[in-house]
Amino acid sequence: MTTGALLWTLAASVSPAAANLISPESPHSPNAEESMTLYWIGLIAAVAIIVAVNAALVMAIRKSRASRPAARGAGDSTRTAAAEGPAARGTHLRLAGGLTALAFVLFVVGVFFTERARDVPQSGPDGLSATNSLLAQRSLKSVPTGDDGPLEITATGQQWLWRYDYTGEAFSFYRLVVPVDTTVVLDLLSTDVVHSWWVPELAGKFDAVPGKRNRVFFKADEEGIYRGSSTVLSGQAYAAMRTEVEVVSPEEYTAYVDGLETDIAEAQGAVTEDPNTAGPS
Amino acid sequence: MTPPATATARPELVAEGLPQTRKRWVEVATSADHKDVGRVLIAAALGFLALAVVELLLMRLQLAIPENSFLTPVNFNRMLSMYGATAIFLFALPLALGLFHYVVPLQIGARGTALPRLSQIGLWLYVIGALILYISFWFTPAEAGINPLAPLTETVFSDNNGTSGWIAATGLVILGYCLLSINLVTTLGNMRAPGMAWRRLPILSWAGAVASWLMLFIGPVMLAALTMLLIDRSFDGTFFAADSGGAPLLWQHMSWIFFTGVYVLVLIFALGALAEIISALSGRPLANRGAVIASLVAIGVLGVLAWGQNMLSAPIGIGWMYFWMLMALATIVPFGVIIASLIATLGRGSIRMRAPMLFALGAISIISIGLASEIGHTLIASAWQLSDTTDATAATHYALIGGAVFGGFAALHFWFPKITGRTMGEYLATFSFWTLFAGVNMTFFPLFLAGVQGQVVDSYKYFAGTGVSAYNLVATVGSFVLAIGIILTLVNAVLSLKNGPPAGHDPWAGESLEWFALSPPPAHNFDVLPDVRSHQPLRDVRDAISRRNNGGGTPAREGQAVA
Repeated sequence: MTTGALLWTLAASVSPAAANLISPESPHSPNAEESMTLYWIGLIAAVAIIVAVNAALVMAIRKSRASRPAARGAGDSTRTAAAEGPAARGTHLRLAGGLTALAFVLFVVGVFFTERARDVPQSGPDGLSATNSLLAQRSLKSVPTGDDGPLEITATGQQWLWRYDYTGEAFSFYRLVVPVDTTVVLDLLSTDVVHSWWVPELAGKFDAVPGKRNRVFFKADEEGIYRGSSTVLSGQAYAAMRTEVEVVSPEEYTAYVDGLETDIAEAQGAVTEDPNTAGPS
Repeated sequence: MTPPATATARPELVAEGLPQTRKRWVEVATSADHKDVGRVLIAAALGFLALAVVELLLMRLQLAIPENSFLTPVNFNRMLSMYGATAIFLFALPLALGLFHYVVPLQIGARGTALPRLSQIGLWLYVIGALILYISFWFTPAEAGINPLAPLTETVFSDNNGTSGWIAATGLVILGYCLLSINLVTTLGNMRAPGMAWRRLPILSWAGAVASWLMLFIGPVMLAALTMLLIDRSFDGTFFAADSGGAPLLWQHMSWIFFTGVYVLVLIFALGALAEIISALSGRPLANRGAVIASLVAIGVLGVLAWGQNMLSAPIGIGWMYFWMLMALATIVPFGVIIASLIATLGRGSIRMRAPMLFALGAISIISIGLASEIGHTLIASAWQLSDTTDATAATHYALIGGAVFGGFAALHFWFPKITGRTMGEYLATFSFWTLFAGVNMTFFPLFLAGVQGQVVDSYKYFAGTGVSAYNLVATVGSFVLAIGIILTLVNAVLSLKNGPPAGHDPWAGESLEWFALSPPPAHNFDVLPDVRSHQPLRDVRDAISRRNNGGGTPAREGQAVA
């Protein structure tokens, strides 16, 4: 479907085993797909450059070994000066021009796919219809509003657990439950140090920086469980700073959030009814 | 009209034979001579390289198998902090600055440096900083990572003296590097031999000029950030504390300006040294010399302007991210021009496969892998997936080991005869090279693959069933091969101090003025200097001699340098 998928098929047809080695896990969200495409483009460019440099190096060594050391000595510098004439200068210019073109093409391609990865999609027909208005802000492009607007959930990083606040009173720790085929926007906050929210199959990583708001979005195309972890050293239990996203049907999602709300209300009721632990309000 | 100069030192002026009144180490330690400053920096850097290797091995042992408990999380984080600080602050930078200090004044035909006391203070700030770092190691080392991101370093989250020790140590060391850089910049500006115009300056000296100016831009930025962090920790400051109106991102900007600059500085040093080595050992002047010089400057400027490459996941406007991507991709041009020039020089010459050449060729290969794999971390949407994974670890290590270890070892083998008067053993060097080459690839190539599978950076453990266990085991085995390779060269250097075959003043038929001095050079470097009339004064001297000999002993005419 996408360029990434095409490149993937191409790589897999050449060598399935090798393609598996160098391929990240398959994306399950449109923006993750764009990242994947750009990953393949970057990889191809990198491999091409590495092969070109090392092949040229080996050829130069061979040529250099074949040439007679006796050629060195008096008058050498004058011959070299002749070799560095207009022809050589032309080669140098062509090389610099080619490199500039390569850098420019990579830049344009990078901007193109990054812009696509920043496009917040509409929720699909199988998704949850949630109405939410979001302010356009810096890290996301304009967000669709109206009936098919995205579902907004707050993800708060703290040492060493993610807390997810759903609409209403419901919240959960570690595991985030979201409806399938629905655009979900996570507001990333942190209460202590910098954390990074990253579930590779759904979206790239974005930092939760204390005092700043960051956002990440995804639209999961398949039900299932997706795992991720923070990528910023956050202290002793950094390796435990992981998370799990469970993608379910919209009905299950609504039931889950309602269940959470009931449970939380019950628990709070139990707390306030107990005269020993009752607080001021 | 210059009277013909003679190359033989006039014995009555040489004080080498006089009995020494002070112990040798006191002489070296208290000397402000650029050669002594350089020697101490190089020796200390190589010593700290061995320590960095030990720290790397301990971390790799912990990561050999999933969910290992060889190191506690805290101890792993301490190793990580120490490894980063040691490898960057105590090895890579002093090796580069030490070699610059030793070689650059010789290359430009100076009898000393412009501000010798300043460089001596710089050296001792480095020594004191290093001591503080390792003394803190025995009490409470820092545990906040290689670039410890605020606010993890605030007292609330790191309530021990480790981070304060790290601040003091790195601050003193960076201040030292700034002083050393001021000395290099001033020396290059004022003490070049007659005729040594900027356009005739050897490439390593150009690299020294660019690297020193770079340090003078990035060093103070980091010093400011460290001061702010110190105020935050010790005097209840709020520079980086978000809950009191501070800005954690400010630390990221300032520290990444520095660390990105260091990355670039190490590569500039390495490419400068490679240019000298490849040109000398293939017997050809460097191809496209002017463009190489311009490229060194361009790398310094563009590289630092791409400082945000490590901040693409932070809440920052997309416009800045595109700017950083553009700057980073633009460095393809100068890096490509220099590498193409090195390869072209090699191809036109006739190679002498001696130890420096071997390491230089390895450096080109390893650096090319490191730089090219940065492309995936430059294209923003791709970087959102790849950054902060072990893929980034691998890319950075390929570039920096290619630069500081392969490039640094190439430079060490190349200038060792000048520094000590003896050549380093070829057999051990060859063996060390191939071990090192295998080790680097075994250690860091699997980490590319593990990073693509999602293994995160800096973590003290990973989990079974995530598809990265085999990669990590190979990497751990590889790190021991890598360590053997490094230790072999260090052993070779120590053994060769006494037992290496004696080298003449010009073992490689070099083209720049340091090969005109004795090995090791006397305190005043040169008794006489040839006129500098091109960028390869020693080749001019050799040409003049051969013309004189071929011409049946006719005396050299004026205008030709004579040795």
